[in-house]
Amino acid sequence: MTDTSKGPEPADRPQQFNEQKRFLLDEVTKGSRWFIRLRWWVPPSIGAGTAGTRLLGVEFAAKPILLVAAFILAYNIACYVWDRRARKDRERQREIIQGITYLQVGLDYFAMFLLIHFTGGTGSPFLFFFVFHIIFASALLPPGAAYGFAAIAAGGMVLIAAGEYLGWIHHYPVIFRGDALNLEDQSYRDIKSALVIPQLSFFAASMFIAAFVMSPIMRLLRKRIADLARFSETLTRLNKELNALFSLIQAIGSSHRLDQVLDTVTLELSLVLRGKGISVKLLSQDGKLLRYAALHGLPSEFLNNKAAEVARSPLNRRVIEGEPYVTGRVTVGEMYQFGEELTAALIKSVLFVPLTVEDRVIGILGAYCIHQDRFHDEDVDFFRLAAGLVAIAIDNARAYEAIENLVKDRSWFMMRVAHNLRAPLAAMISVLEVLRDGYQGELNEAQSESLRRLDRRARDMLAIINGLMTLAEKRNGTQVIKRVPINLNSLAGRLYRTFEEEANGKGLTFKCSAPQDLPEIQGDTAMIEQMLENLVSNAIKYTPSGGRVELTCSLGDSNTCRIEISDTGIGIPKEARSNLFKEFFRADNAKAVEELGTGLGLTIVKEIVDKHGGHILVESEEGLGTVFAVHLPISSKKGVS
Amino acid sequence: MASKGKILLVDDDPDIRDSLRIVLEGNGYTVQAAGNGREALAALEAQVPDLMLLDIMMATDTEGFDLAFELKNQPKFENLPIIILTSFLGKVREEGPEQYQHIMGEQWPAKWLFEKPVDTKKLLAKIQGILGGG
Repeated sequence: MTDTSKGPEPADRPQQFNEQKRFLLDEVTKGSRWFIRLRWWVPPSIGAGTAGTRLLGVEFAAKPILLVAAFILAYNIACYVWDRRARKDRERQREIIQGITYLQVGLDYFAMFLLIHFTGGTGSPFLFFFVFHIIFASALLPPGAAYGFAAIAAGGMVLIAAGEYLGWIHHYPVIFRGDALNLEDQSYRDIKSALVIPQLSFFAASMFIAAFVMSPIMRLLRKRIADLARFSETLTRLNKELNALFSLIQAIGSSHRLDQVLDTVTLELSLVLRGKGISVKLLSQDGKLLRYAALHGLPSEFLNNKAAEVARSPLNRRVIEGEPYVTGRVTVGEMYQFGEELTAALIKSVLFVPLTVEDRVIGILGAYCIHQDRFHDEDVDFFRLAAGLVAIAIDNARAYEAIENLVKDRSWFMMRVAHNLRAPLAAMISVLEVLRDGYQGELNEAQSESLRRLDRRARDMLAIINGLMTLAEKRNGTQVIKRVPINLNSLAGRLYRTFEEEANGKGLTFKCSAPQDLPEIQGDTAMIEQMLENLVSNAIKYTPSGGRVELTCSLGDSNTCRIEISDTGIGIPKEARSNLFKEFFRADNAKAVEELGTGLGLTIVKEIVDKHGGHILVESEEGLGTVFAVHLPISSKKGVS
Repeated sequence: MASKGKILLVDDDPDIRDSLRIVLEGNGYTVQAAGNGREALAALEAQVPDLMLLDIMMATDTEGFDLAFELKNQPKFENLPIIILTSFLGKVREEGPEQYQHIMGEQWPAKWLFEKPVDTKKLLAKIQGILGGG
């Protein structure tokens, strides 16, 4: 980072002066108002002073003095009105206010001279007040103005002295108890009187000394003000940059998709750098070609540019080798590198930095501006930081994309494997059906029975393949689980409709229910449905006629819902409990009821329960019935993971 | 005996084609069979059937879908009822290509999808329902 505590470099001088001028004009603007406010006190003070001194018995030209007070009031009102108006004119505000300030000081001086004239001229005690104006001038007006006002004060007094001596103007003495309140000995008429000249000389000297003394103080003060304002600006800028970097980080974290990441990145950066445009160019795998991947603020035709060959572009090569490239005035030759499109876009400043991840350069981040000399050291520093983040984001998004593709490929592969295993079986079963249904001639009982067996084995195999495919998908992690809120009430309804016929056909009492106000669970709808279908199907299968199968839902403990499938079926023998969820396992009593079965149903149920972060409990008594209880987490918020 | 209707059966598996043909013809329908998309289109051009049974995965993974999609875009076949046959009900339901959802109308993926091995009784009932009415 640039060290802002050092003094300015010579080359920065013009910039610094402009800066200072800008800051100080801001101060003048404020000062002018303050002047006007202060001046409201003057006419009443003069009025009160006049009344008071009169009461004390001092004789002086009260009327003219009061007129001067009125005059001060008048021009203060005028200045106030102009000042108000000037503030509304945003553009010329500064010049107008500076003009008003000069006008005020000028008028003040004029009023001062009048007052002094009416209170004894060179002998007036008001002479001392000139110092105020010197102080104000040196504080609020450009350096040198104080000397100017000192000169005016001295010159003006000389003129008044000369005027009184030559009789051009009347002398207004201030008389107290018969004595003229003079700083000299009534000898204003006598120019040779030693006291007038030294007095004026000391007065003039004191004015200039005041100006001289104020100047370095004010210079220092001004410098401090300017420094402070500059620091403040720098701080604001750094803050903005930090915020931008933070937004970048957040934006990066919120999306894995490369195109979204690139869009967000270019947008955020363009907001901070306030330039014309931002570009991201990415290197091809072999490192030979550089292609635009994202743009902001530049014509979108760029994206259609064919890739630039790195070997043929020394500028790009330099950046890829690690060196940032900054220029404030793009020359025609450089323009050519960028292409006609950039030239047409009137870019004058560019800034390129490499995008690096772990020593690998993956591309170039670029900023463009139509103004000259837009990018300075601090911009380069910030841009490099940003580039670091952007590079990580791109790398991340690419990795994620690669994984997604892999997952998709595997998923597709699994599906085709399943298809190829199932197609022949489906064909076999179709042919069998044609035979069994008598389309090719009547069958005797033995033939029927044989065909029935064939059909069963074939269907069984189909079921096993289905089960294995399901398991394989879950275990390989090729399955993407969509987590959405699931309403148990409607799920129970669906399950009921699915198995109603079968249950009734077996003469079973069958119920599926869930209370209306039960909270929704979080999970993959298809998987949850399959899990419950397996359990209900089992219950129906292993419950003899006249029994009961019931599915109920309720609130479970620790933020779960409890789904219970109970039956009055054959139950699960104790020995079988430990193997219940193992692949291909079937308890002996189950085999007695149903000769054939996949033995995968409960395995799949367990997989799904585990995947959803729930747990499953079994309670059973052989010959009496079984209860399966599945606990699944409640949906805490809407939306997908 | 008059035919109850003309059915075009598209499936790349010869055993499925023959079995279904036997069942359908045995129930009074006239059946023409095609083994791939190209043959199917030729048959369609020659004569518009009353109903089409369409397998999804044939030579390519989405050949059936592609064909149905193409047909739906042609006014001549706009009202042709299509019953999809698939060995893959679950997958098709979950991941049926979005661009083909519309070929089933609002009925995707419910009634007009049959999983192989086909339950012929249900299939016959469905066909009866579609064609029987008129």
